[in-house]
Formats: sequence, structure tokens, C-alpha cells
Amino acid sequence: MFAAENGLRGDPRLQGISKAIRVVPDFPIPGIMFQDITTLLLDHKAFKDTVDIFVDRYRDMGISVVAGIEARGFVFGPSIALAIGAKFVPLRKPNKLPGEVISEAYVLEYGTDRLEMHVGAIEPGERALVIDDLVATGGTLSAAVRLLERMGAEVVECACVVGLPEVRVRLVVASSLLHLCKMALGLKLLLLLDKSSQFHITGTTQT
Amino acid sequence: MHAAASLLNSSNLSLRFASQTQTRLSPWIAAPSSVRLPLNRSQNYRIALPPLHSTVSGDSTQPQQMASADVKAQDPRIAGISSAIRVIPDFPKPGIMFQDITTLLLDTKAFRDTIDLFVERYKDKNISVVAGIEARGFIFGPPIALAIGAKFVPMRKPKKLPGEVISEEYSLEYGKDVMEMHVGAVQAGERALIVDDLVATGGTLSAAIRLLERVGVHVVECACVIELPELKGRERLGEKPLFVLVS
Repeated sequence: MFAAENGLRGDPRLQGISKAIRVVPDFPIPGIMFQDITTLLLDHKAFKDTVDIFVDRYRDMGISVVAGIEARGFVFGPSIALAIGAKFVPLRKPNKLPGEVISEAYVLEYGTDRLEMHVGAIEPGERALVIDDLVATGGTLSAAVRLLERMGAEVVECACVVGLPEVRVRLVVASSLLHLCKMALGLKLLLLLDKSSQFHITGTTQT
Repeated sequence: MHAAASLLNSSNLSLRFASQTQTRLSPWIAAPSSVRLPLNRSQNYRIALPPLHSTVSGDSTQPQQMASADVKAQDPRIAGISSAIRVIPDFPKPGIMFQDITTLLLDTKAFRDTIDLFVERYKDKNISVVAGIEARGFIFGPPIALAIGAKFVPMRKPKKLPGEVISEEYSLEYGKDVMEMHVGAVQAGERALIVDDLVATGGTLSAAIRLLERVGVHVVECACVIELPELKGRERLGEKPLFVLVS
């Protein structure tokens, strides 16, 4: 599930990737330590390594669709799609995609939001990968998985650069509650970086 | 109008131009699809297509301009890219013929060709920054940046970027919007490319140019997949070169 557990432990590229991500305190609201991947994008080697690690993993899995979640999923997804010969499907906030869409609601801390996908973008039976920069509660990823599954795709995995502590807690809890939490169990999740241990140390990342 | 709309929304996504609809873009729509770059439009391409081996802003003689236009007109990849883009009528509001690049992203060859065409043009131009405009510029910019060895800088709507930003206001058809860039993302003297899926009035691109130039970056060129020439974005960019694949 996490890069270390998936055998990526010790991949020398992960250290450079982790160092390139900066933490911005109190964004968007006080108390949140925001994992800012824009600094990763300024480090050409680290950015390339990030894409390469995903490509190395997914190129032989028969994946024909990479679905990226607006907007930071758009930064990573297309490069992966191009390298593995898959199409790229943007999953967007409401009213952005023209033409016919299907939509799926998901829960925010306060209220709900919706994620949309084009009808006809994928066909039943396609194998899909979902990409976002970061996973926290997993709500957005779960909505993405539901959208793809509604269109008959098989979601092979969800892949994110960074995972936050809530994810580990939800997934650990879910696995002991035997199918009660379908959302967490439904996510086959790859994270390059698990920031849960760093979350509690100080306001700066120690990598 | 309705017949055309249902045709365009059908599975035949290769239909590039709407037929018989009255819209403010109708002169462009009516252009025959078989003539992708008619020679009498080379005037529009003098800035976009300088001779292949000179700097982007260099002067070019007339025969070389025509040669450049011919080279691009004959690139066999352009036709596939153009036909992969679908047109959605009346989105986001009546009268707008929306150029939807999502169907291009479903065509692995055409998407690959799109990126290759940009990479071939920019890889030897010493560009260290590719700035992509939210959100569809985020789809095309990073693959280009990765291929040419540049960093990628997202230009975003307000309050999306954490930390310190600079911002630039720009005009919309009705009202204004604001574009933001991170402080410290770029350094004075760097050479930059700005990428977006489409240029219409040029307002968004102009705001991006101003943001980068405010911090001393040299914007080498703006690159878009699609241009809507009737909206005169090229003129709004003035002396700043604009390169497009499809117009």
C-alpha cells in the first residue's frame, strides 16, 4: 500500500522527491500542514523521478486509462499516460467538462462536492489508474473510483505522491472492520511518500 | 442547431467543424477542413513560424517564412490532432462553439504527437521554465517541461497556491479575474514558455506574460494547441510570439 511496503523501500529516488516537497503551515486554514508539490515541479530530476517510478510500476499492467483528479492530478497523470500508452481522462469539478458527463458526490469536512467525468471517455472492461498528488481522507479518490466503476472500468490502483495520516488510520481501521468501510477497502493505494510519521514532529519536514 | 449539436455529440468525434450554425465564430468554422494552413494565411504565421534554425524572435525573409509555413502545413501529424478535437456547441453558454481537447487526450497517438510537436520546437531553445495556465495548461505543460529539461510552474486561480504569491488581474468578457504565481518559482533572466490548451482573446496569456516579466523572466513564446483567430489573441499579445498547432 505504501511505497515502503510495496517494495519501493530504499529506492534512492524517493529521498530526493521527499526533499523537494515543501510544507506550508496553516494553509488553507490554521492547523493544516499543507504538502506543496509545486516545489517538486521546480526540481526537474525529482519531478522526472516521480513520473518514472509510477511508469516503471504501471507500464506492464495492461492499463489503458489514467484518470487524473483536477487540478494537481493533471500535473502528474498525462506524463504517466503518455509513457505507458494509455489515454488520459480528466476528472473535474462541476460544470467544467462540456458535453455529457456523469457525476459523483463526495464528502468534505463541511458539506459536499462533486466530481465529473465525460460519458464515453472509457469503455467497460478497461483497466484504469487514478492519479492525484495527495490523499488525505480518501474522499476524492473514492468518488473517482466510483465514477470509473460506474462506467464499467476496473480500477487497478490509485496512485498518489503523498499520503497523509488520516489515510493510514482509515485503512487500518477498515481492515479490522471487515468490509464495513467499503470506501477505504475499495482503494488499492500506492503512495510514494507517507507523511504520517512526520506530521507529529514539528512544523518542518525532516527528511 | 440541434441537429448539428446531436451530430457533434455522437460517437463520431472526428467531426471537427460544425455545419450551418450561426455563431460569432462562423467565418472560422466555415473554413474547409482539408486546407489546414492555406498559404494566404501565412501572414498570421510570420510570428509563430520563424525559420527553423533561428531564434524565435529573429527576422525572417519572405521565402523562409513561406517555407516554414509549408513545412508546418505538411506535417502529417497536425491533421490527426485537429480531427481529434471535438466542438461542443453552446458551451459554456449559447453561441460559444467550445473546443474540447479532452477527446484529443483519449487518442494516444494524437496526444503524443501534440507533445512531440512542441518538444521538437522548444528543446534547443534553452528554455528553463514552462509555465502552464490552470487547468488545461497543466495537462500539456508538464510533459513538455519534462522532455526539454525545464521546470514546470503552475499559474493558478486565486488562493490555490500556498505560501507567498504575486498576482495579476486580467479582463474577462464580463468582469475580471486574477492569476497567481509563486514567489521564488522563477529567477530573473530565465527563459520561459507559456502553455495553455487554447488562445482566444489572449487575456489569460497576457496576464501570464506580465507575471513572468514582472520578476525579470524572458518569455520566449506562448504555445497553445488551438487558436481562435477571430478573437484576435495574437494581436493582443503584440510582439510576444504565439505558436499554435491548429487554428
